[in-house]
Amino acid sequence: MIRSAPPPPALLLLALLAAAPASAQRPASSIVIVTGGEPSMPVPTLMEGPQNQVANFEVADHLFLRLANLGPGLVTAGDRGFVPMLARSWSRRDSVTLVFELDPRAHWHDGAPVTARDVLFAFARARDAAIAPKLATLTQHIAKVEADGDHRVIIRFTHPYAEQLYDATWHVAPLPAHLLAQLPPDQVAGSPFLERPIGDGPYRWVRRVPGEFIELAADTTFFLGRPGIDRVIIRSAADPDARLNLLLSGQADAMDNVPPPLSNLQRVAADPDVRLVRVPSPTLGFLLFNQRARRDSTRPHPILADADVRRALVLALDRQVLVQAVLGEYGEVPFGPASPVLWIRHGAGAPLRQDRSAATRLLAARGWADHDGDGVLDRNGVPLALSLSYPGSSAIRRAMAQLIQEQYRQLGVRVDLAQFEFPVYLERRDAGDFDIDFSSTTQDPSPSGLTQSWTCAGGTNRAHYCDTAVDSLITRAIAGQGDTRTLWRQVLQRIEQGAPAAFIYAPTYVYAVNRRYRDVTIRPESSWISLWRWSVGPVASPQTAGY
Amino acid sequence: MGLWLARRAVQAIITFVIALTLLFVLMRLAPGDPVQRLEGERPMSPQEIARLRQRFGVDQPIGRQYRLFLGGVARGDLGTSIEYNRPVTALLRERLPATILLGGTVILVNFTLGMWLGVRQAQRRGSAEDRLLTAVSLAGHAMPSFWLALILAWLVGVRLRWLPSAGLSDPLLGAAAPIAVRALDVAAHLVLPALTLILVTLAGTMRFQRGAMLEVLRLPYIVTARAKGVTEVLVTWRHAWRNAVFPMVTLLGLWLPLLVTGSVFVEAVFAWPGLGSLAAAAAGNRDYPLLMGVAILSGGLLVGSSLLADLAYAALDPRVRLS
Repeated sequence: MIRSAPPPPALLLLALLAAAPASAQRPASSIVIVTGGEPSMPVPTLMEGPQNQVANFEVADHLFLRLANLGPGLVTAGDRGFVPMLARSWSRRDSVTLVFELDPRAHWHDGAPVTARDVLFAFARARDAAIAPKLATLTQHIAKVEADGDHRVIIRFTHPYAEQLYDATWHVAPLPAHLLAQLPPDQVAGSPFLERPIGDGPYRWVRRVPGEFIELAADTTFFLGRPGIDRVIIRSAADPDARLNLLLSGQADAMDNVPPPLSNLQRVAADPDVRLVRVPSPTLGFLLFNQRARRDSTRPHPILADADVRRALVLALDRQVLVQAVLGEYGEVPFGPASPVLWIRHGAGAPLRQDRSAATRLLAARGWADHDGDGVLDRNGVPLALSLSYPGSSAIRRAMAQLIQEQYRQLGVRVDLAQFEFPVYLERRDAGDFDIDFSSTTQDPSPSGLTQSWTCAGGTNRAHYCDTAVDSLITRAIAGQGDTRTLWRQVLQRIEQGAPAAFIYAPTYVYAVNRRYRDVTIRPESSWISLWRWSVGPVASPQTAGY
Repeated sequence: MGLWLARRAVQAIITFVIALTLLFVLMRLAPGDPVQRLEGERPMSPQEIARLRQRFGVDQPIGRQYRLFLGGVARGDLGTSIEYNRPVTALLRERLPATILLGGTVILVNFTLGMWLGVRQAQRRGSAEDRLLTAVSLAGHAMPSFWLALILAWLVGVRLRWLPSAGLSDPLLGAAAPIAVRALDVAAHLVLPALTLILVTLAGTMRFQRGAMLEVLRLPYIVTARAKGVTEVLVTWRHAWRNAVFPMVTLLGLWLPLLVTGSVFVEAVFAWPGLGSLAAAAAGNRDYPLLMGVAILSGGLLVGSSLLADLAYAALDPRVRLS
């Protein structure tokens, strides 16, 4: 008879399988939010370079208060529409001076009061290009920040312009000077403060478990009112499937931006415990037409330098079909380089619809026709052939690129798809080594960011688009010379006419939140910034949610 | 013995340095810039990019970068991660426990179960059980780990909700929870990723062990032992298995480095905070310092485990002499 020893691994496996998920005992007033990025440095003035990540900003918004937040309309120009936070009020002394009255009830999580000194300290760090180069650029029009007593801050600007209040409130949240002033700036990142940041926001820091989550607890003495949820867990999972599984298995209560494909949204929508919240996104996807020759920016592009050819390439696309096919109802075709988060897009205009005949006429007028009958337009023996570059890491662009290739084929334009690994894609794009670049950008709420990509001297104007009329309109809009809203609309219209790009998609972000939460508001400019106003109900909330 | 050890150690160090040098050079020859990548979809000014390049030392000639790297390694300083802006040693320290837990569990279960099943198959060669185990284990081996991980996470974690679908622990337990409760919680989170890796790797161990046992079982001394009336358990485990274990030592030596990098996809699907996912992200992000840090760890493990395997041979087999 053959005998063998008992299987010790079986006992081990049985013991492991006997372990039940502990998440069954979920505390009532808590929320677990699962997100793609891992927040590693959520402290104002440190979120630069590699740390300039949404995950950091979103956690910082729970810990640190700004002087004021953007209002529901996300309007960044003028002095109205902002929501008081650390500053209970503000007034304008003259065209270059704003005066803020700090709320005397505000305090740091260690009990120290928030004073004007903290505001001055944070601005001093933010305006130092050696410490925070990006912030220093964003606050370059602030000439001076002064204190008048403990609770009054006076901010002077270099010149009058429309977004003074936005610049004074949005970019820089005050830091606790009593804890950080003694630390040299280059030592803050490695200091104990970073292990346990002390803020003045609705939530205080509890702990960070590397690679897993950050835990925050409600500041029960928060001067604007006790948060409705006691514990907040920000859980990281880089893989989209892992995030979905955490949500659908009940291990997470909320999830930011359910990733494509559309079937993911259908899976989440089918869960009766979860509701979907649509939020305008700051993202914009577009085909950028290089107006200079590849790898030689001194020469015009042999095909795309011609504005009529670019217009034809815009008209040839059925962008509605592209958006519908890849994003379904969760996206739209933008008008100009304005994502849904930009307030200037309202009333600016409607994108051109596909008109293949008009596109053909435009190309024919420029000499492009199928002379050799091979199905591809040509001129002087040169085929109308272009390459389309995009990163393989973007599911949306990957899917759309195939459809775009087919739509252009029907016009007689040969498009070769060039998919690259993300770092390689960026390297080639920044070197101008592309014909058509399938770009995606994430925009700040301020339209002044358009300067970077769409003005002649813009630092990230990679397609070498240059229209002095657009430059002039943007300058006047930023300075507030005239009706700002009208000027920005004209900017978008002028860019659309020049066709430096075909603006393809502006997605709607879809957040998933368990139905037991009430008063759910998710903000486009910072998703969870209003979380402290949420509450937890004993039963599923019938309320709708929004932004 | 001392001389042998010294010679093997020198060989190991040379191998290690050559491997690291190659990796260092190849990484920098590959297209894609680590600082440019940080820009992503939020544009940075050329000045900002230049400042970051200077800060992370990637603006230096490759020779100088290499000298700085070697100097740092000698001091135990592996540099600062470009992506995380934190010391690489700290990141490795944070992620190593999760990796050891998962990899260690997989290796432990894989080898104990795999060897036991392999021996069992050899004993029952040609039987229905042998054929069934072969078919089942090869089916597991043929399944891509990420696919199996997705299926298990969905079925057991989402659909049935028997076990956590992802993560290493339940964040709602809190740091003050009793240690037994936390241990049970971690064990529950460990089951699915470990099971995935065990299922896709078990066949290799089983086949190795089965083959080695079959070789030994047909030797004359086994026939003699049986003829002398030695019980089958003793024949199997004392006489046969001890001589069939040597290929497994080699296999274990090759397996150990996989502790670090062998579970990239599984770590991603189960959001397991280990070194595998960190290494994969570092490669994609061109985070040179972090990637070199992981390489040092896995390379060190490979060289170290190969040395250990040689030592184990000598300890287990009196015919082997370290000379």
